[in-house]
Amino acid sequence: MDVKEVLDIAMLSGEILLTNGSETYRVEETIERICSAYDIESECFVVPTGIFLSGCSKNDTKDSISLVKRIKERTINLHKIEMINSFSRSLKDRRISYDEAMKFLKGLDSAPSFPYYKSLLAAGVTSFAYAMLFGSSAINGIVAAFISILIYYAEDKITVINLLPFFSEFIWSFITGILAVFINKYILPINIDSVIIGSIIVLFPGIAITNGIRDALYGDILSSQVRLAEALYTVTAIGAGVGISLLLMKYWM
Amino acid sequence: MKGIILAFLGSFCPALLFNIEKNKLIWAGICGATGWTVYNSIYSYSGNKIYAAFIASVVISLISEIMAKLLKTPATVFNVPSLFPIVPGVSAYYTILYIIENDLTAAAYKGIETLGIAGAIAFGIILVSTIFRYINTRKRRKAI
Repeated sequence: MDVKEVLDIAMLSGEILLTNGSETYRVEETIERICSAYDIESECFVVPTGIFLSGCSKNDTKDSISLVKRIKERTINLHKIEMINSFSRSLKDRRISYDEAMKFLKGLDSAPSFPYYKSLLAAGVTSFAYAMLFGSSAINGIVAAFISILIYYAEDKITVINLLPFFSEFIWSFITGILAVFINKYILPINIDSVIIGSIIVLFPGIAITNGIRDALYGDILSSQVRLAEALYTVTAIGAGVGISLLLMKYWM
Repeated sequence: MKGIILAFLGSFCPALLFNIEKNKLIWAGICGATGWTVYNSIYSYSGNKIYAAFIASVVISLISEIMAKLLKTPATVFNVPSLFPIVPGVSAYYTILYIIENDLTAAAYKGIETLGIAGAIAFGIILVSTIFRYINTRKRRKAI
């Protein structure tokens, strides 16, 4: 297999890892592992917004190739990270052909995930659990679950808002706050605090924070700063959204 | 007891949202429930949220690193969902609420509490994963 093909496989694996919420060091390690499995010397530099990768074969350094990949969107799918992790480890024992590897990597997009209704239900139960965990009755939990399912569904269907990175969190938390205030005023009296906390928790950037810390630990200070800043902006956006809805409640009711 | 079940659900369901493999979901849930139990018992014993969050975060990271070794998956899989119950969501919320009510003293109090808990959780993760990273590199060196 020539250098270009190996780098293609490594780059695609790295891209899948990075877009699905992996730590920076894991991306670098995986790319290096894949390259060394095919006897390619490689050097890569990964930041949360892009991958820089160059490599050449061990005996002939003239056929050096460099690739750059810009990462635009980042979601969370830990299953894909696990798959790529075991894929890159298996290459050491058994090299597979370019077509086979590409088929596997492309096939990951249709990898089994949970059915949509289960995700919806999970979002609901999460909010239910947290609204109750933070000390209130079951009725508040049910209201929180209802709001959370609504938000989760809307977030999936109304993709226009999601194009704007931090604005989307602002909008969704604002709508959550407004819904809670509205239900409290017109439908049934609830504990607004615990309902809002319960419904918001799904939007919280937990992965960004833990990855930010882990990146710093592995010496990727740049990535760490990027991720922590991302988390900070997200939290600020959520806070602003909830804050404005509560402000409205104060002057409107 | 009610809290433990809720904490279990509260780690199990985020794990499902992050699309973790089916047979590992339950472990994430157990990990989260354990962490929350530790947090709650230390909090009711000492009355210090930050201290409780630190110990709970250490316990959760320990369990998830060990589980990651046993089941051969990245530790993040268990770590992130099980930290959900001790994340300072309530403190952060009240910080905002007090700012809106123009009670800045209370807001500063809650804000510092939020930062303290977040920092304690972070330091707990750092402590445990540094130890495991050290063990890993030792092993690798021996292998070479």
